[in-house]
Amino acid sequence: MVRIGVFICHCGTNIGGVVDVDDVVQFASGLEDVVFATGYRYMCSDPGGRLINDSIKEHELDRIVVAACSPRMHEPTFQAVLVDADLNPYCLEMANIREHCSWVHKNDVDEATRKSKDLVAMAVAKARTLEPLESYHKNVVHEALVIGGGIAGIQAALDLAESGRKVYLVEREPSIGGRMAQLDKTFPTLDCSSCILTPKMMDVSRNPNIELYTYSEVVDVEGSVGDFKVKIKRKPTYVDWDKCNGCGECALACRLKDRIPDEFNEKLGKRSAIYVPFQQAVPLKYTIDPNACLMLRLGKCGDSPPCKDVCTLDAIDYGQKESIVDVNVGTIIVATGYDMLDAAEMYEYGYSRSPDIITNLEFERLICSSGPTGGKMHRLSDGGEVKSVSFILCVGSRDKDLKDYCCRIGCMGALKHAYLLREHEGDGLEINICYTDIRSFGKGYEEFYGRIRDIETNFIRGRPSEIKVQDDGRLVYDVFDTTTQKLLQVTSDVVVLVPALVPRNGAEDLGRMVKISRGADGFFLESHPKLKPVDTSTDGIFIAGCCQGPKDIPDVVAQASGAASRANTILSKDVLASVSTVSVVNEDLCSGCGICAPVCDYGAIEIVEVADSDGKKIAEVDVALCKGCGVCASACPSGAMEQKGFKCEQLSAMIRAVSSRDS
Amino acid sequence: MTRIGLYLGCLIPTEQYAYEMAIREVLPDFGMELVDVEGVACCGAPLRHINLSLTMYLSARNIALFEKDDLDMLAPCPYCHQAVSETKHVLDGNPELRKNVNAHLKEEGLTYRGTLRHYHLLDLLHDIVGVDRIKEKAKVSLEGLNIAAHYGCHLIRPNDIPRPDDSENPQKMETLLEAIGAKSDYYNEKLDCCGAHILLNESESALTKTGQKLQAVQKHGFSGLATMCPWGHRMFDSKQDSAAQTVGGSLDVPVIYYIQLLGLAMGKDPASLGMNLNRSPVDRLMAPREGV
Repeated sequence: MVRIGVFICHCGTNIGGVVDVDDVVQFASGLEDVVFATGYRYMCSDPGGRLINDSIKEHELDRIVVAACSPRMHEPTFQAVLVDADLNPYCLEMANIREHCSWVHKNDVDEATRKSKDLVAMAVAKARTLEPLESYHKNVVHEALVIGGGIAGIQAALDLAESGRKVYLVEREPSIGGRMAQLDKTFPTLDCSSCILTPKMMDVSRNPNIELYTYSEVVDVEGSVGDFKVKIKRKPTYVDWDKCNGCGECALACRLKDRIPDEFNEKLGKRSAIYVPFQQAVPLKYTIDPNACLMLRLGKCGDSPPCKDVCTLDAIDYGQKESIVDVNVGTIIVATGYDMLDAAEMYEYGYSRSPDIITNLEFERLICSSGPTGGKMHRLSDGGEVKSVSFILCVGSRDKDLKDYCCRIGCMGALKHAYLLREHEGDGLEINICYTDIRSFGKGYEEFYGRIRDIETNFIRGRPSEIKVQDDGRLVYDVFDTTTQKLLQVTSDVVVLVPALVPRNGAEDLGRMVKISRGADGFFLESHPKLKPVDTSTDGIFIAGCCQGPKDIPDVVAQASGAASRANTILSKDVLASVSTVSVVNEDLCSGCGICAPVCDYGAIEIVEVADSDGKKIAEVDVALCKGCGVCASACPSGAMEQKGFKCEQLSAMIRAVSSRDS
Repeated sequence: MTRIGLYLGCLIPTEQYAYEMAIREVLPDFGMELVDVEGVACCGAPLRHINLSLTMYLSARNIALFEKDDLDMLAPCPYCHQAVSETKHVLDGNPELRKNVNAHLKEEGLTYRGTLRHYHLLDLLHDIVGVDRIKEKAKVSLEGLNIAAHYGCHLIRPNDIPRPDDSENPQKMETLLEAIGAKSDYYNEKLDCCGAHILLNESESALTKTGQKLQAVQKHGFSGLATMCPWGHRMFDSKQDSAAQTVGGSLDVPVIYYIQLLGLAMGKDPASLGMNLNRSPVDRLMAPREGV
């Protein structure tokens, strides 16, 4: 016999304003094994907790039902109350009568009250079958993995390393630096982007706590918070990086020098088949592009490959193979960044029709003095003089056909570009900015906008309908300026499109690998939009930077430090309490068929031979690895696998309770 | 023979006879039996901005008449086609309005079921008949002709309801032109307005749009302009002279329905395609035939 107490929360008017709580209390009092039931305004408050605690003592309760909000929010709160009252925390059952009831049925008071009774009846039925569960602990691996070597990953890795943690930093490209390395200047301070980024990149390379894996990808992640097992694939660079000193003689000698489109320069410049992405690369080690190199593609490069001939350190190794590195970490920070929406998706803006229609990232490389044109603007189509440049903001952003959201960097980026253009090209140049709204929300941003308003710039509030290429190659578009109510026709030599930001290519697969969810926009989803902005749906995995959503550099850096700090809350512990609602095997029913083992994402199930049994096999659960997801229990064909706290008899009791109710 | 119901709307049977003639002449060669459906009325589109539910009712009534006979619909007027698409889009997502419309249809013993398949010539030829069969039937090569494509706005817009081709970069008409041996270059003004919609209240602006587009086609050196919309055709063909006067230039652009051009490529008698009804100098487009 158990003694159940039922506590029904009004949640102010959230529940109380819809559900007749007194009626539900009265109903609950009449349920089998319920010895006490009461309502209270805010059950999660201190007085609410005291009420439960006192009632447990006064009525000698040993099972508690709380009918309130989602257990996601307050189950830990009420479990703590039970522990205070010397009860096992798993003797608690919650009925969600807020999200599942009052919030969705607020226009139907009678039905909401009836449904609350159903939910309470189910919770009480399950409470009658609850058993105290033991708790488990696991050891924490005091090392961390950071995926992505842009400014977010760099900052997170540095913060963790400086707090004494060992960090593995994995970057897909040959160098860390990410998008920020491609920028010329940063808004609104006009700091040279690489001048402020390079020192941080150097700090990464010098920090003994950081183990850097560039030109590498994470290919497998197993385990759970405190103990992840990760496989890192190191792609072959065909250069022995232990020998390479970054002298660059090989690139100068390469037969394909200045022939291969250079990704770092958004393919506006050319590089060799053996290359570093940019001169400040970290590590400053050369990589051979297997899709370009004649030796790797054809097995022959003239009489003898010049890169190998000139390398005095004998670092070139065409036979290099990819390798897998296994690492073991307690926590993972994902910082994979963003891509630009393919501007050709908006056909009307002509990105595919004229080389003079470019993206803002391409513009960034063109205006940069170390870029492919040395910072000088000319028409890419014919090298002609540029007399007018137009910026088109919100290309695919804030657009219900493509991306609903704001890119958060387009406005300020264009203002910065207008400033740089005026500085480089002088007063003769016409600059037009077609905007939707100028969003200058950050610190110092509005002031910067004011400065640009003061240098001669045409601000046109409207989106062009389409950009046409005239016979002379110049670009013409019609735009309706909503501030003056005038239809304007503008002719420019260069049009800079500012496309929407989208998650970095490959984010979907990575998200699946580390088991974190993505929002409708494809960006990784934070655990709570306000209060857990760097946590994810999987414990121990954190997100930082633009992989979570578009943001500017200061926000990225702040978020990266936040993620590092959150990661430290795990890394600073020696042991973690793990779930108690683990799976258990009924050895009498288990036939050892093995269906459960491969469905377990955590590798917690092993099929073992029973000692002295003539070869009988059964499933065995490693409780330290089990996360209590219940997938094995649903896969088991014989009912031998059950999850504690969600056993068949417990769920059946709930179903019986609701299906036998008179409604 | 595949039976397909023909829904002509208002402009084709009252003025753009050539379009109807060419359709009736050409489509049977592709195994289609065109059926006239009794009792159809206005497509509803002209009332769209005055009374949306009346538009829905009129359009749903036409749809119901086709559904009653289990016929697919061919609506060669993009304006009518769009009305059908929009009505289906709205009624299929709005059970309340659908109930209301059906209550009215009940008086005539009709029901809107939402099962109709409807086509414009563009998707019927491109997606159903297919380029291969068109190539097969095109005996007379139109090689040497470079024909500008004019889609018309209702055929491709708005993009949030199903349309026969892409809103910003439609290509099916060019593919169909290439299928009969003609070339169809891209031109900047391809999606520009024909002017038809403001002809009544802003006739000068309307004819300016018409004239400017024709000037562009002429300047580019096209052999002619192909249309798939009776409204656009009427502007570019019947009103070419007024458009020339309005823009103060001389215009001399052969304007032809694509289906007429297809008929010529199939070796049909020009008179059976209504070519004598085109006001623009389409004789020039028939010239290549003589060499064959």
